[in-house]
Amino acid sequence: MAEGLFQISEPGESRAKSACAPGTTGAIGIDLGTTNSLVAALRNGRPEVLLDDDGAAIVPSVVHYPPPSPSASGASPEVDPAIVGVLARDLLAQKFPTDTIASVKRFMGRGPEDAEAKRALTPYRFAPGDAKDPVVRFSVAGGTRAVTPVEVSAEILRVLRERAEAALGAPLGGAVITVPAYFDDGQRQATRDAGRLAGLEVLRLLNEPTAAALAYGLDKQAEGTFAVFDLGGGTFDISILKLEAGVFEVKSTGGDSALGGDDFDRAIAEHFLARLQLTGGDPSLARRALDAARAAKEALTERESIALTWKRPDGTTTQLTLTRDEMEALVRPTLERCATPARRALKDAELSASDLSGVILVGGATRMPLVRRFVAQLFGREPLADIDPDQVVALGAAVQADMLAGGSANPNVVLLDVVPLSLGLELMGGMVEKVIHRNSTVPCGATQTFTTYADNQTGFDLHVVQGEREMVSDCRSLARFKLTGIPPMPAGVARLEITFLVDADGILRVTAREETTGIETAVNVKPTYGLSDEEVERMLLDSFAHAEEDVKARLLTEQRIEADRIAHAARAAMLASPDLLTDEDRQNIGAAIERLEQAKAGVDHQAIRRLIEALDHASKDFAGRRMNRAIEEGLRGRSVGDVEAEVDKSAPELDLKARLERAGHIGHSHD
Amino acid sequence: MSVCWSCERDAGDGVTCGQCGALLPPRASETYFQVLGLPMQFAVDVKQTEERFRELSRLVHPDKFAKADPRARKASLQRSVQLNEAWRTLKDPVRRAMYLLKLCGYDVAAEAGASAPGEAPGEVRRLPVSPVLLGDILELREALGDARAAGDRAKVATLAADVRERIGVSMRAVEAGFASALDREPDAARSAAQSKALDVVAGELIAVRYYNRFLEEVPEDAVEVTSTVGGVA
Repeated sequence: MAEGLFQISEPGESRAKSACAPGTTGAIGIDLGTTNSLVAALRNGRPEVLLDDDGAAIVPSVVHYPPPSPSASGASPEVDPAIVGVLARDLLAQKFPTDTIASVKRFMGRGPEDAEAKRALTPYRFAPGDAKDPVVRFSVAGGTRAVTPVEVSAEILRVLRERAEAALGAPLGGAVITVPAYFDDGQRQATRDAGRLAGLEVLRLLNEPTAAALAYGLDKQAEGTFAVFDLGGGTFDISILKLEAGVFEVKSTGGDSALGGDDFDRAIAEHFLARLQLTGGDPSLARRALDAARAAKEALTERESIALTWKRPDGTTTQLTLTRDEMEALVRPTLERCATPARRALKDAELSASDLSGVILVGGATRMPLVRRFVAQLFGREPLADIDPDQVVALGAAVQADMLAGGSANPNVVLLDVVPLSLGLELMGGMVEKVIHRNSTVPCGATQTFTTYADNQTGFDLHVVQGEREMVSDCRSLARFKLTGIPPMPAGVARLEITFLVDADGILRVTAREETTGIETAVNVKPTYGLSDEEVERMLLDSFAHAEEDVKARLLTEQRIEADRIAHAARAAMLASPDLLTDEDRQNIGAAIERLEQAKAGVDHQAIRRLIEALDHASKDFAGRRMNRAIEEGLRGRSVGDVEAEVDKSAPELDLKARLERAGHIGHSHD
Repeated sequence: MSVCWSCERDAGDGVTCGQCGALLPPRASETYFQVLGLPMQFAVDVKQTEERFRELSRLVHPDKFAKADPRARKASLQRSVQLNEAWRTLKDPVRRAMYLLKLCGYDVAAEAGASAPGEAPGEVRRLPVSPVLLGDILELREALGDARAAGDRAKVATLAADVRERIGVSMRAVEAGFASALDREPDAARSAAQSKALDVVAGELIAVRYYNRFLEEVPEDAVEVTSTVGGVA
């Protein structure tokens, strides 16, 4: 197994040392989503999402790598730590699109030659690939760093770990991380590596629809056969599960690990750019167009039409309108790609839609009226909408984590999940011999025997692939390895026994053994996309060594960014509404800005924080007057920013205090 | 006598140690019928067996051993793999029949000899494929090819229904053949009539294999399903 590093402390012991409240295991469930991530744990026998200091459940899965600061303060480490969450999403992504990675999940376990890394409309820059190392790397921090999707995901997981430690006490009792059911082996390996890199003891990778069914089934005491339709930001899963007497048995699963709400955004963004007669080669343009598209899509869940103003760098503007019908026409072709996997999952389960007891909706994209109509039509029934589609996966993961850590809340529950994609070996002529078939219950294993095709052949080249197609070239390559040292024998005499073993995480291990000689070799099928144990160990030790500095440096960077933003906003507001300013305001706000700028040059993040609050206090009355005027003026001349602000009702652009409170606590719970 | 890895006493031959209750690794000689507590025969009460499968899953699943001793974890993994494969094999009549026939010393699987636990080494009986069957299959395939080329969905459906009917007929013959062939004392030698019955079963199962391959060629839908791997079309 790959957890060598974590066996330094025996799993059982870490619980004994735990500082957690009695009766809880301190184990957490993490929904590592394309758009948003959450962490949950069991409290009083029920799963609960853990909130940050401001009561926010969601951490946007957006990671910003600041460019190296020129004002090196001596004490700061060589690289500035990453900034994760709302601040990265709402502010830094627009300003530094190439340094701010959103939707990293779509790149997990992917190489530079994958379709995902080759899109025309992308805000990212990719570091040149190394032929020996086919992992996508993002060029970030002003081009000074190249980070892998595993490292980016680990930053998000680290923030969730810190939140959980603050809520439950450290050390934690281990974590269950959810993955799309349709993730292949490489994507699962990458997710597991990210968890280890974030310092988590990964108890299990759990399929997202299974997690949702677990939370739903336990909460509603549901029995019967259910379909879980899970359309998230970047992935689509469909699972058919039988719930009976505490056993959650996945009958079949299907999906598309590159289909989600992001693709809707892209279709809408391309439409906007076409209307504006712009082409999307520029990262910042791509970021703005995608953000506008997301805001428009979300607003059109409630409204029939929206108007937004596109500002060009030269100051000119164009008014864009979009109706719900137009938007639905843009996204429908993408949505319809869900139909084939859904039908196939039913067929694999040997069921028809009418056999189902219900259809459970999961994932933010299922809030769209179009998606609900589509699901209703596909399954011939209204889907169940009495759960929060954003939280249910994390809640289910928390239940599973507690069970794995030995909790007694659900003693009779057992999850039986399946392999989403067949696993096989390349044969002569590029054909695939399936060794394990899709929808086999995990853990599972199979052994097949092969022989040599040439006289005196002394080695076997083994190529492990995953997929449903007949030809190797149509499947995903997982690993190639060699069994060598076989003594020369006539063709057909050697007996090569190959064993595939898929563990409960859905991760494959292959062993090959030549029976006449007993020569044996084994691989965890991960060399293509995962990190080696040594790499993880080195990276972890590095991060431990810098942990405290990192936290301080991150707090400092965050407060500096926030200080810039607030000072800029205050200045802009003063320029925009001079008539609303009293002389006293002008003097107080001006002085507060000046003090804040001075503190920003220093390294005391708490001082900066205090002065941000002082500036906020000084501008409170002024901001209130501006707010009133804005409300009176109604919705004339709405900008993209306003649309977003309306969608996110807690964050009117002008309300400095609300924005500050949200932004000030992003990504950490220290102070 | 098998010695328990945990208490080092006589463990007995259950799933768990008779002395201390530790989970024991599976024995290689156990057949899938034994794993699920069934007699070695074709007729199976699927509903009851499913309940047995679930009960055993609760006992051996790796989720119940996530933080246990590494030896218990390994035993749990091995037990679960064995249990899942046993249930996958026995719940499906065709797979169950092929497995049972294999235990009787026949090999009707063309796939490079997947060895089954409990298989008698050495003597494996393989039957030639009947030329009549091959002729039938060729005709059916041609008809399917023509119907698909002409876009005649009704004809495709009729052909598929015909082949499903043939599978039904064959499986009834398989059931009858097993009933007479396995009707004997466990250690008694097989009579000539019983061997003949097994030959008939083997012939029918070979036919079912060809029929199933044929059904795989029939499109599931108006749209041909092309599976995607990780979104690579």
